[in-house]
Amino acid sequence: MDRQKRSGEKPDAELRDLDVVEHWFQAVVTHPAGVQGGIESEEAQRQIPLGAGELERVIRRSKSLTATERLSVYANAYYTRLLECLGESFPVLKQTVGEEAFGSLAFAYLEAHPSRSYTLSRLADAFPRYLEETRPDRDDPRQPGAVDWPDLLVDLARLECAIGEVFDGPGVEGVPLLSEEKLRSVPPERWSAARLVPVVCLKLLQFRYPVNGYYTAVRRAGEGVEVPLPEPGEQFLALSRKEFVVQRYELSGPQLTLLGALVDGATIGTAIERVAASANLDTRSLAESLHSWFRDWTAAGLFTAVEGDLSVG
Amino acid sequence: MNLPRLGHPDLGLGVGLRTVHFPYILENQPDVDWFEIISENFIDSRGRPRYVLEQIAERYRVVMHGVSLSIGSTDPLDFDYLRKLKALADTIRAHWVSDHVCWTGVASRNTHDLLPIPFNEATLKHVVERIRIVQDVLERPLVLENPSSYITFTDSTLSEWEFITRMAEDADCGLLLDVNNVHVSSFNHDMNPEEFIRSMPHERVVQFHLAGHTNCTTHLIDTHDDHVIDPVWKLYRLAHELTGGVSTLLEWDARIPPFPVVHAEVLKAREHMQRALPRPEKTGRAEAPGDGKEPSRVPHPLHHVLPEVQ
Repeated sequence: MDRQKRSGEKPDAELRDLDVVEHWFQAVVTHPAGVQGGIESEEAQRQIPLGAGELERVIRRSKSLTATERLSVYANAYYTRLLECLGESFPVLKQTVGEEAFGSLAFAYLEAHPSRSYTLSRLADAFPRYLEETRPDRDDPRQPGAVDWPDLLVDLARLECAIGEVFDGPGVEGVPLLSEEKLRSVPPERWSAARLVPVVCLKLLQFRYPVNGYYTAVRRAGEGVEVPLPEPGEQFLALSRKEFVVQRYELSGPQLTLLGALVDGATIGTAIERVAASANLDTRSLAESLHSWFRDWTAAGLFTAVEGDLSVG
Repeated sequence: MNLPRLGHPDLGLGVGLRTVHFPYILENQPDVDWFEIISENFIDSRGRPRYVLEQIAERYRVVMHGVSLSIGSTDPLDFDYLRKLKALADTIRAHWVSDHVCWTGVASRNTHDLLPIPFNEATLKHVVERIRIVQDVLERPLVLENPSSYITFTDSTLSEWEFITRMAEDADCGLLLDVNNVHVSSFNHDMNPEEFIRSMPHERVVQFHLAGHTNCTTHLIDTHDDHVIDPVWKLYRLAHELTGGVSTLLEWDARIPPFPVVHAEVLKAREHMQRALPRPEKTGRAEAPGDGKEPSRVPHPLHHVLPEVQ
């Protein structure tokens, strides 16, 4: 019977340092080539040099399993658990590329970016950047502005990551929001110098594919149902949160510029100037649009307050 | 002489709080004695998980159970994490804070697994020192659980129960006796599970865990994906008798059934507490349950909160 104790077998003075054992163990069970590859790896050999068939110098066999088979429980669990977690974080991306291709991408990502956080919620943080940096066409000469399949995958990863951040990040539940009545009460002469304060959960995103509609379609279709891939096309999106559920609002280019300026802390006047300059819009049509934009965004709960000197001049 | 359970109350029969059950619990306010939360899912949350937890903590008694303390690691302790644990424990008035006798990673990595340590004098000294530091930061005794394990080290010179007993005495901490883990590890390491339970310092046991596991014939995996089997209930009866009864909690983490099924599973403990040993008849399942569903092969833990989006 293995009672985990072999009294007299090895005096304490001859035991390995715990630090050595742990670095060796981690190198072995997290190695992408499995336990055998892990044992032979440079890191593991540096910690505990083992020749072929010498694993039982470190790990005991049981009645039913060899030392390698026993260690494999940890090695299999490491990738299985974290791949499952990444799959849950990117369900639409996973369905788009297929389970096998997603598994390969996620596996390579885990090798490049092993978790360094106490929470699995941070595991996916660097995945969009990783996809961008490792895209297969990264060394190909591309026309400026050219968009291709890898851009869709990166865009989907960015969207799904952002949804996770907004869901569990700071929000405004229980906080009074700007009312339409308050918005209407701002005297016209004070409007330009006033500032609209966006909610803390507002996140603005730019995509190279119209991923918002596609994301909705895939989620509605359910697992295994094929949804036509979108054609390339610029899309702008605002994410926010209402009653703890993430909300998505599609934006036009001028709307994105305007909201972006407000998020940066610009006055309403400065924000409008930026829009007018960037979109080459005539002042009259812009003025007509602004009224409905501010009304709709206020109704959607994207602002907490309007600040500045609001007294009637 | 220590008070039983280190002076903690017997909270009764509780359930591990899982996000899939949030709507049911909020709507039905089930008559559950207490809940255990996974600390890491809430310490940074500023969204629905935290909101729901605060509502539940208003109505129910709550205990915090962590999976990333890594008390056995040779990496430095994460004081930012410890301060967050303490802040949450204070906010929700957690009855105690627990984690595992394990390590989760070194070189700043987290494998998100409960990895085994060699049981010897040097490891004991290392772990005891770290428990004392953690208890100073948390300003409360730490409660540590025996994890399931799948290997044993040639560098172990103590049995697991000797290690845990001396650790608890030297560090003056509490114990969470996971009865299913005793069964799983004993099977995997050809040990006697009753000897394990009889050898525990019973006055230091603050809490029991119960769970299901997966039988792979040559070994068992602690998957928390099924009902508690009869051999584990038998060990539970022994542990109950030896400790005089402590807070009991059921964990169900994969293939999670509706809340009433999970709750009903832990309520079976009442019947077992009332029966004297030995008990030949069966009320649950023997080893190797087969319900036709594909069993899980991933050991606990996998605790990941999924977002809600319109």
